[in-house]
Amino acid sequence: MISNFITMNGYGLYVWLSFGVVFISCAVVYFKTKKTLRKYEKEFLKELQALTLEEKNKALENSKVAQHILATSFKAN
Amino acid sequence: MFKFFSSSNIYPLIQKLIKFINSIFFLILTIGLTFALILSPPDYLQGEAVRIMYVHVPSAWIGLASFSVITLLSILNFIFKIKNFYFISKSIAPIGLLFTCLAIVTGSLWGQPTWGTWWAWDARLTSMFALMFFYIFYILTFKFLNGEELIIKVSSIIAIIGSINLPIIKYSVEWWTTLHQPASIKITGSNSIHLEMMFPLMVMLLVFLLYAALIFLMKYKTEIIRIKKKNIKRS
Repeated sequence: MISNFITMNGYGLYVWLSFGVVFISCAVVYFKTKKTLRKYEKEFLKELQALTLEEKNKALENSKVAQHILATSFKAN
Repeated sequence: MFKFFSSSNIYPLIQKLIKFINSIFFLILTIGLTFALILSPPDYLQGEAVRIMYVHVPSAWIGLASFSVITLLSILNFIFKIKNFYFISKSIAPIGLLFTCLAIVTGSLWGQPTWGTWWAWDARLTSMFALMFFYIFYILTFKFLNGEELIIKVSSIIAIIGSINLPIIKYSVEWWTTLHQPASIKITGSNSIHLEMMFPLMVMLLVFLLYAALIFLMKYKTEIIRIKKKNIKRS
């Protein structure tokens, strides 16, 4: 039964290759996208922390995104 | 109404959506794979090779749907000048390209055992190949052109010209004699696919849609941070 499942009655190569190509490509794109997002989040956080208190308050007042990223970084720490 | 689409309003929702998708994704993937690879029956003509359908068809649908959304957003951007639509389109394009390429590759892997050839320059395959190039040109505008206004203009023109190809892809199997079979699933009219195969196909479509949504949200989030980063530097 297991060997039937693997060979798929002679179509195993095509079926497994199709599923394999799809899942490997999707995994590569997922990890690449996640890595880029983390990189941008870190860089943004670094720039926020480098601001003076006055500049930081202004940035936080004007940007919900900055507020959110700063809040999540505190949670993470 | 369009204020709702501002990045500041959408941003807090993105993280919640990413978490939600992550929490249900593997469960639905497991159900989809179990049905697609084990529980669904083999086809009376194609045998087990029909299982390739469960990755090929959703990939092709998402490839087409992504380009339709990009075209629609490009037209809306031309009319209403909402920059956010451009960032959404930019985030969707790589997903569309990925799924179009996957549809071509898995189609080729399906073609060999069923048609006896990896590739044929028939109308459906050639028009999908053309769609892949429209995606590539669209994405290249972001990489190689300078100036946001110019990028928006050129990418929108590519999307609108590329949209001519969409009905050609859809109706190619009816307009011309092709190796590719006609559509088995129709929005209007009766489907020629049995429920035992339709159910795994729909579950796999849901898996692919969730994955596409996840990648879109992460890419869109990256775009928002990139813009905010620029704004911080300016102020």
